[in-house]
Amino acid sequence: MKALLLKDFYVLWKQMRYFLLVILVFSALPGGYNMVFAVTYAALLPYSCVAYDERSKWDQLAAMMPYSVRDLVLSRYALGWIGGAGACLVSLVLQTAFSLAFHRAAAPAALLAAFFACVSTLAITLPLIFRFGVERGRLIMFLIIFLVCGSTGALSGIAESASNALPAAVWLVVPVSLVLTAVSVPLSMRWYARRSR
Amino acid sequence: MNAIALNHICKSFGSFAIRDLTLEVPEGTICGLVGENGAGKSTTIRLLMNALRPDGGSAAVLGVDTASPEFQAVKEDVGVVLDEAYFPEVLSAAQVGRVMAKTYRRWDGDQFRQYLDRFELPEKKPFKDYSRGMRMKLAIAVALSHAPRLLVLDEATAGLDPIVRDQVLDIFSDFTRQEDHSILISSHILSDLEKLCDYIAFLHQGKLLFCEEKDALLERYAIFAGTADQAESLDPAAVVGREDRSYGGVRCLVRRDDVPATLMLERPTVEDVILFLAKGVKLG
Repeated sequence: MKALLLKDFYVLWKQMRYFLLVILVFSALPGGYNMVFAVTYAALLPYSCVAYDERSKWDQLAAMMPYSVRDLVLSRYALGWIGGAGACLVSLVLQTAFSLAFHRAAAPAALLAAFFACVSTLAITLPLIFRFGVERGRLIMFLIIFLVCGSTGALSGIAESASNALPAAVWLVVPVSLVLTAVSVPLSMRWYARRSR
Repeated sequence: MNAIALNHICKSFGSFAIRDLTLEVPEGTICGLVGENGAGKSTTIRLLMNALRPDGGSAAVLGVDTASPEFQAVKEDVGVVLDEAYFPEVLSAAQVGRVMAKTYRRWDGDQFRQYLDRFELPEKKPFKDYSRGMRMKLAIAVALSHAPRLLVLDEATAGLDPIVRDQVLDIFSDFTRQEDHSILISSHILSDLEKLCDYIAFLHQGKLLFCEEKDALLERYAIFAGTADQAESLDPAAVVGREDRSYGGVRCLVRRDDVPATLMLERPTVEDVILFLAKGVKLG
């Protein structure tokens, strides 16, 4: 799986620079919505990779190499998780810096909730991408955008209004995202294997 | 042991089907897979590597059933070059090397760099800026740099200029000097196969018409060139294919054993045999 993640990293490297810039800008802006948006945006990284791979027909070559279906599928999830976690970390560092410099309150719990919202988004949409591919999955992309915007708005509302409600939201989103992922990964593996054969 | 054994493989795609394909490639040999476009060569290779699941039959590579979980490990021993080199477009050769180093346990980075030098491939240039020939050379370099025992090559020499093609054929030929190394190669360039292969397998419309030793094949058949009257006098059962020339002459592929020994015959090329057989499929 390391090989596949490295390949995705190289593929996304140019895009990553813009991605880092987006995190930087959104984290710098005041308001919970902006920094949460940056984290949930990370959930879209695997779709860029799937699109690149479809264009280069990498899957045909990968099928000839010693990669298991498990590796091929899990690497996509891992990329989204790493992207989301990385965005959280960068955002947290920036928020901390801004809180010290401008006395603006940091919201680490909202970031945590955003990370698990990102995990949930991946769990819902990746099986559909594995089943139908990116080209046929344009409707799914709309769903992703809807989920990203919806979860971002909801989380920002929570972050900005009730500091007491936030831990409860985190406690809710964590088990939900874990259950979704536990169902999603085997389903993706099954659909990936069926689609590629 | 057979490097490759396909046993009554069937796979249907609706309008096209691989039908009852049985093919054996003994270890230490080179087998050329020949057939017209759409004959099923690439499908056969995908079935062989378990990238496609057959509707029926079984396949084994290096003695391991391709449907078994153990086949995953066997892929370490198989170098594959497909009809296009499907590496991600933004990767450079150096990055491809680093990804492959984490893919194959026996990846030899020094050997990979030697192939890059030998093929004059720039390490830093993105794959999308490579010519088709350069792309195929990179795919060949990757296939050869993880100590494979079997090479599976699907139109691997297509797009290469004659000098590089000759160089690559020499590399493939050297590869089989080790007695447990084998190659399955599909190509439309029949002269390459004639130069390289021990066995020729002919796939026509999804069906394997024959797989036999190249020398035996060229011994069995012969070319008769003469007038139309002379051709008419031949035993029809001996004539496999016939080609009327514009100037009135006739060229026939005949079974050497079924025509009089006194008849003047020419030794055919693999291309002659395949072209005649493809035009008028008539095997006995």
